Amino acid sequence: MTAATHNNSSGFWRRLTRKKQLPEYEWMIKPTQQEEWIEGPGVYLWLAFFFSEIGAGIYFVSLFSNFRAGFIIGWLMTLVLGGLIHMRYLGNPGRVLRIFAKPGTSELARGMWVILIFAVLGFFQILPALFSGLPWTGFNFMYKIIMGIICLLLIMHGFATMNVVRALPSWSSTMILPLSIISGIWVGSQFVEFFMGLAGANLAVFEMWSRVFFFVYLCFFLLYIWGTYHQSDTAHFSMQELVKGDYAQLFYVGVVVIGLAVPLLLTLIMWGQTNTFLIFVRLVFVFVGDLLLRYTLMKSAYYTPLI
Amino acid sequence: MPRWGMVVDVKRCIACWSCAISCKEEHFLPPKVFWNRVLISERGKYPASRKVIYPVLCNHCSEASCVEACPTGATYQREDGIVLVDYDKCVGCRACLVACPYQQRTYYDQEKKDAEYFPGQGKTQFELLGEEIYPFQVGTVMKCNFCVERIDEGLEKGLAPGQDRDATPACVISCPVGARVFGDLDDPGSEVSQLIKVHSAKQLRPEFDTDPAVYYID
Ligand code: SF4
Ligand code: SF4
Repeated sequence: MTAATHNNSSGFWRRLTRKKQLPEYEWMIKPTQQEEWIEGPGVYLWLAFFFSEIGAGIYFVSLFSNFRAGFIIGWLMTLVLGGLIHMRYLGNPGRVLRIFAKPGTSELARGMWVILIFAVLGFFQILPALFSGLPWTGFNFMYKIIMGIICLLLIMHGFATMNVVRALPSWSSTMILPLSIISGIWVGSQFVEFFMGLAGANLAVFEMWSRVFFFVYLCFFLLYIWGTYHQSDTAHFSMQELVKGDYAQLFYVGVVVIGLAVPLLLTLIMWGQTNTFLIFVRLVFVFVGDLLLRYTLMKSAYYTPLI
Repeated sequence: MPRWGMVVDVKRCIACWSCAISCKEEHFLPPKVFWNRVLISERGKYPASRKVIYPVLCNHCSEASCVEACPTGATYQREDGIVLVDYDKCVGCRACLVACPYQQRTYYDQEKKDAEYFPGQGKTQFELLGEEIYPFQVGTVMKCNFCVERIDEGLEKGLAPGQDRDATPACVISCPVGARVFGDLDDPGSEVSQLIKVHSAKQLRPEFDTDPAVYYID
């Protein structure tokens, strides 16, 4: 990439993500934007939440489709990408240990413990799974159920941490947890479907499930926007910023077109016959769209004015 | 055990920012960091509009969202209700900062540590002294501590917080119009309890369900 194109692309990103500068004297007098978890080093937390959740989604879907490579991909994505970016955000691995010392204190601490349990149990599941494929019987069945529950908890980790912040009504919305679960499963399923396609598996049944996941994702997304829009004045303001305000461009281009419209189109094109290349293209769009959905949700969170 | 709290009479406040400045001086806060602020707005529509002034600070909430959000126990509440941060335990995750509905916390980063009151001129003697007395740790979160040192030292000397200047928060004793009163919320005879009762003083945004220890007479 030349310097000029690099400048153009970063300028484009800056334009899409720019925020209305609230004059200093309007701080907490008008709805005030949440910045700590998305501006500056805060972007690491956005990425950490995203990768740990998507990794867990891949693992979760692999459990059901008995897709062994998916266990490894999901496990690595959660721990290497999610875990390392979490550490990068905190700035020092020693600090992560301090969070583990108080598991009962907060949602963030519980989430870190879920990641740790996922790491250990996942490791012991992956090893034999590579050889046996883990059938749905006996002990393996129980192990799968336990890992499935842990994956679901992990998929919710980021949004659950955000959901307990009552001060930010757009995050404490009731629909945010269902949206997070389906988003992790939907994106995870796209990875698994693509890799299974590469491995030459018959994807007819999988594609049918993908359609179901996509439909539920779309419904929960719309329910989240609609529910939050009608929740409180500040939540309404947040949604307005998303659909009409500063982040509207990013929302429509990134979330609606890239994350929803194009995958919908590709799903319709593949109706009746799957195609690994198109599945790959859809995966890329779904991945970017979901990443941007989380970005816009973190960006458009506002605090209620104090007076 | 007392529960320390404050009553602010917003009708008296003249928005002089003395509280904010004395707080910065007391705790040697770096540029752009405020533990006390004054919010100025207006209510109603012209010609029936009126100016409203609300000095705000950490409310030392009983049900503090920051305490609930902290994953390490670095943010904790003492028995007397004061919410503090243990910098040695803080990991800088900023969960407390995001969780505080009153936005009363500040992340102390390297930029804030390096900031000079006279940019490019080096740190003043006052700033250097502050670094010795108040060694804030980079990568941790800070906020108003209700001048806990004044309270604790005062109590040791047998003084009464809220009555004796040396045992009372700096923002209270520096207010030129006496808009701030400090004292024990659990003592029905204390000045703060009386003011709350007589003037039906209110907490700011009680719907946040954090039960603040700062009340406003408006
Ligand atoms: S005002 Fe904010 S920082 Fe202070 S105790 Fe309440 S929640 Fe915590
Ligand atoms: S930044 Fe420090 S005080 Fe705040 S929640 Fe994290 S560990 Fe606790």
